[in-house]
Amino acid sequence: MADNGYISKKQFIEELRRYQKGSVTRRHFLGVTGLGAATAVLGAAMPALRPSSAFAQGIGDRVVLATWPNYHDTANFDAFTDATGAFVQVNVFGSNEEMLAKLQAGGSGWDVFVPTNYTITTYVAEDLIEPLDVSKLSNYDAGAFDPRFADAGTVDGTLYAVPKNWGTTGFAVNTSHDGGKALTTWKDFFDRTMDDFSGRTMVHDYQLTTIGNALKYFGYSFNSVDPKELADAEKLLIEAKPHLFAISSDYQPAMRSGDAWLTMCWTGDGKQMNSDIPEIHYVLGREGGEIWSDYYAIPKGAPHREAAYALINHMLDPQVNAREVLAHGYPVADSRTNALLPPEILNDPILYPAQELLDALEFGAAATLTDPNRAELLARFKSA
Amino acid sequence: MTRRERNWLLVAPAGAWFLVMLVLPLSFVFVFSFGERGPAGGYVPAFTLEQYANLPARWTAFKNTMVLAPLGTLAALLIAYPLAYQLAVRTDPRWKTLLLVLVIVPFWTSILIRSYAWIFILGGQGIPALLAALGIEDVRLIYTPFAVTVGIVYGYLPLMVFPIYVALDRLDKRLLEASSDLGARPFATFWQVTLPLSVPGVATGCMLVFILLMGEFLIPALLGGGKVFFVGNALVDLFLQSRNWAFGSAVAFTLILIMLVTVAIYMRLIARLQVRRDDVAIM
Amino acid sequence: MSKTFGDVEAARDLDLRISPGEFLSFLGPSGCGKTTALRMLAGFEAPTRGDVLIDGQVVNQLEPHRRPVNMVFQSYALFPHLSVADNIGYGLRQRRPRLARSVIADKVERALETVRLSGFGKRRVWEMSGGQQQRVALARAIVNEPKLLLLDEPLAALDRKLRKEMQIELQDLQRQLGITFVLVTHDQEEALSLSDRICVMRAGRIVQVGSPQELYDCPASRYVADFVGNSNFFEGRIEEVDGALARLVTGGGQTLAGRASPGLAAGRDGCLSIRPEQIRIGSEPGPGCIEVTVQNRIFLGEHTEYLVRHGGLGNIIVLAPRQAEIGARGFEAGARAFLNWSDEAALILNPD
Ligand SMILES: Nc1ncnc2c1ncn2[C@@H]1O[C@H](COP(=O)(O)OP(=O)(O)OP(=O)(O)O)[C@@H](O)[C@H]1O
Ligand SMILES: [Mg+2]
Repeated sequence: MADNGYISKKQFIEELRRYQKGSVTRRHFLGVTGLGAATAVLGAAMPALRPSSAFAQGIGDRVVLATWPNYHDTANFDAFTDATGAFVQVNVFGSNEEMLAKLQAGGSGWDVFVPTNYTITTYVAEDLIEPLDVSKLSNYDAGAFDPRFADAGTVDGTLYAVPKNWGTTGFAVNTSHDGGKALTTWKDFFDRTMDDFSGRTMVHDYQLTTIGNALKYFGYSFNSVDPKELADAEKLLIEAKPHLFAISSDYQPAMRSGDAWLTMCWTGDGKQMNSDIPEIHYVLGREGGEIWSDYYAIPKGAPHREAAYALINHMLDPQVNAREVLAHGYPVADSRTNALLPPEILNDPILYPAQELLDALEFGAAATLTDPNRAELLARFKSA
Repeated sequence: MTRRERNWLLVAPAGAWFLVMLVLPLSFVFVFSFGERGPAGGYVPAFTLEQYANLPARWTAFKNTMVLAPLGTLAALLIAYPLAYQLAVRTDPRWKTLLLVLVIVPFWTSILIRSYAWIFILGGQGIPALLAALGIEDVRLIYTPFAVTVGIVYGYLPLMVFPIYVALDRLDKRLLEASSDLGARPFATFWQVTLPLSVPGVATGCMLVFILLMGEFLIPALLGGGKVFFVGNALVDLFLQSRNWAFGSAVAFTLILIMLVTVAIYMRLIARLQVRRDDVAIM
Repeated sequence: MSKTFGDVEAARDLDLRISPGEFLSFLGPSGCGKTTALRMLAGFEAPTRGDVLIDGQVVNQLEPHRRPVNMVFQSYALFPHLSVADNIGYGLRQRRPRLARSVIADKVERALETVRLSGFGKRRVWEMSGGQQQRVALARAIVNEPKLLLLDEPLAALDRKLRKEMQIELQDLQRQLGITFVLVTHDQEEALSLSDRICVMRAGRIVQVGSPQELYDCPASRYVADFVGNSNFFEGRIEEVDGALARLVTGGGQTLAGRASPGLAAGRDGCLSIRPEQIRIGSEPGPGCIEVTVQNRIFLGEHTEYLVRHGGLGNIIVLAPRQAEIGARGFEAGARAFLNWSDEAALILNPD
C-alpha cells in the first residue's frame, strides 16, 4: 500500500500475478483432468474492433497458440494485437503427450505450439511439424542462444523450432517440517516420504518425471527404458504410494495450503512458491534429474501461418522475452534477453542452479516419452 | 405421404443421431480394439487379440470402478431418497418448485469448479482444520476414497433426486390414507406402500447414476488425488497420455460390455420387482 | 363439528349421533361435503371446530390407523403393487399381535366370496374391471370387521343389476356383521332402499335427518322434497293454517289444500308439493278435478309418465300405474284429461 492509501497500479499487478501463481501451475489441473483441450481466450477484445493494420500486413485477424498455463505475460499478447491487429487465442495444455495426442488426432486448428525438447524428433517423424523459414524471423539470432537449449530445435540440419524457455525438474520442500535435516537427493525424497513426510508428498501425474526421478533414486539414467531398472523404479513407487498425499501435477495449492510438504516441482513453480513462502525451498536432487527446454514451433497445416511467424518473431524480441521471464520465473537461453534482466534474476539459484548440479542433469529423450512400458508402469502405479 | 412414411420421417432425426453419435463411434472403438499402437502412439491397423489379452493390466481400474460405482450409487440413493420424499410428500406444493430448483442450482456451475470447492472444503484448511479446533487432530479427508465418494454423491445427487421425486409425486396420496385407514403405522405404510411404489423412480435414478459413474474420471482425478483410479482415468491416460488407441479401445469396449451386461441384469431384477407394466422405467 | 379448507366451508355444524348397528346414509349433491364428513370420521381431516366421538371417546387426536373405523374410498384406492388377495389381507397383516397366515388366508377367502370374487385372489388389481375393483375395495374394508364402516359411493361404478345385487349384499352384510355403516351416495334410490336413516346435506350443512319414509313423506323443506323423490311444486301465499291442514293460493288464483309442515304461518309465501304418483289422471271430470292438456307421454315400463299443462298451475308431472291403463290406451299428446289428488297427499312447505 502506498502512503496515500490506495494501491498503485504496479502493486495491483503484482497482487494479481501472485494470485494467478497460486491458482495455476505449469502443469495445470486441466492437464490432470484430461480437459487440456479446454480453450481459454485471451486478448478478449473483438477482432472487428481492432485496428485494421492486420490487413495491411496480410496476416489475418487471429493466431491460435497452444502452450502451457501461466507461461506468458499477457501484456505481450496485447502489444502484438495492437501492432498487427491479430488477436492471440490461447489453448492451455497439461502435458506433451496431450499435445501430441491432439496433433495426431488432427484438426487442432493451432498456429503456434510449445513443444519440449524431447518431443520434436517425434513430431518430425510423424510429419506434424513445419520447417521454419528463418527469413520470416528477423528477431531470431542463432548465435545468441546457448546451444544446449537450442540444439533440439534442429533435426537433421533443418530448423523446426526456436527456443522459448528452459528449466529443471527438482523438488520443492517445506523446510519447516524437515526437522532440521535438509533433503538434498532423490534418495532423501523417497526415503523421507516413507518416513517423516509420510502422507505429505506429491509426485507428478506424468510418467517422464515421476519414473525418471524414481530411477535416479537408484542412480539409473532419468531416461532408462531398461526393464530391470524400470522394475526397480516401479517397486519403489508402489512402496511409496501409501505414503503419498497425491499423484498430481497441480501441486501449488496443496503446498501453499500446508496440506503437502514435499513435491516434485518445475523451476517456475519453485520460484513462484519460494517468493511467496520462503520456507519452501527448491532443490535439485544431487543424483541428477531432468533439464529441459521448450520451443516455439508451427504445426503442419496451421490455418494462420503468417500470423504464426509474426507471433513467434514478436516473442523472440529480447524486450518482450525479458518481460516474459519477469512474469513466469523460467530462465531463457537468449544472451540478448539476459542482458536486459536484473542481476537478482540472473543470480537466483532457483533459475540458475550451481554448475555441478546442472552438470548432473539429463535432457529427456524422445524414446522416454513414447516408450509404452513406461506408460504402462505409470498406469500400474496409479491403479495400485 | 402415407402413415408409414410419416412414421419414418418422425424417427429419422433420432435415427440419424443414433447412427452418428453412437453406432459410428462404437464401430471405430470396436475396430481399433483389434489394432496395434504405432511406435509414437496412435493406431496401426492390424488384427490381433493382444489388446484384450492385456486387459488384466487394468484389472485394478475395473475393480475400483465396479466397487465404487455401486457404492456411490447406493450412497447417492440413501441421501437422495429422504430428500425426494420430503420434497414430494411433505412439502407444501407452493414451495416445491422453488426447492426443486435449489436442488439443480449447483448444476449451473461446472463440475470442475464445484469439485475444486470440495478440494478446499475437504483440504487441510477446511473441515480438518475445524475438527482440529475441536481437538480432533490429523484427520485426512482430501485425496481419499471417502473424498471421491463425497464428490460423487454431491455431483450426482440431482440425477437421483429427480426420478425418485417424480415417482413419489405421482404416487396417489389416497393410497397412503387407505393404508393408514387399514391400521398401518406410518413406518409400515412407508415400507409397504410408498417404497414399493417408488421403485420405478429408484430404478431410473440408480441406472442413470450408475451408468455415468462407470465412465467417471473427473471426480476421482480431482478428489482422489490421482490415487483412486477408475476405468475412466485409465482411458484418459491411454488416449491422452500414452496414446495407446488400440488398448484404449479394448478397455473402452470392455467397459461398454460390462455396462450393458450389468444394466441388463439390473433391468431383469427390477422388472421382477416392478409393480405396474405401464410404469416400467421413465427413462 | 365444522371443517373449513381455507375459505371453503366444506362442513358446517354437523351434529349427528349414529347408533351402533345402524345403516346411515349421507345424501346430497356433488360437493356438498359428504366426503369431508366421512374423512373426519375416518380421521384424515381434523375438525376445525367441534369433536368426533366414538363410543363416547373424543377421537379428534387419534390417527386413522388407531381408529376402529374402515373406509371404502370413492376412488377405491387399491394398492396397485399388490394382488387382489394381498389388498384384502392388508388390514389383517397390520394387526399386532400378528395373525397366523392361515387365518388371514381364510378370512380373505371368505371376504372374496362375500363380494362374489372367489378365484380372483391372485389377480392384479389393474386386471380387474371398475366394478370388480369396487368390490375388492369393499372386501378390503369389511374383512377387518370394523366398528364403523365408511363407504364413499361404493357402488357408483356398477351396472344397475349388479348394483341392486350388491345393495342387497351390503344390507345382508350389515345385518350379519352388526357393523355400523355410513354410506355416502347421491343416488336417492340407493339411500332410500338401504338406509335406516338418511342424512340429507346441502352446502356443508345437514338439512334433515330421518328414516327414508319420513323424508319421503314429510320432507322438512322444498329442497329435501325435491332431492328425495320427485315432486310437483306450486308456489303461492299461505292463506290459512288450521292445525294439520293449510291452504295456499297460487299466483294464478287457484286455492289448494294440503298437510301443513311445521312452522308455517298464514300470510307468508309457501309452496305445495305433490308427488307425481299421488296424482290420479282420468278422462271424466269430477269434484275437485282440474282440467289439463296432455303435453307428452313417456312409457316407463311399470309406469307411464305424463307431462300435462294446466292454465293456472303450469306444467305438472303425473305418474300413472299401468293397471290404470289396462284396456284404455292412455292419453295421447293434445288430449284433454282431469287430475285430482287427496289433500292428505299434498304437503305445504316453506319455500326456503
Ligand atoms: N382438501 C380440500 N381443500 C380444499 N377444499 C376442499 C378439500 N376437500 C374438499 N374441499 C371442498 O369441500 C367441499 C366438499 O367436498 P366433498 O369432497 O366433501 O364433497 P362431496 O359431497 O363428497 O362431493 P362428491 O359427491 O362430488 O364426491 C367442496 O366444495 C370441495 O371443493
Ligand atoms: Mg365425495
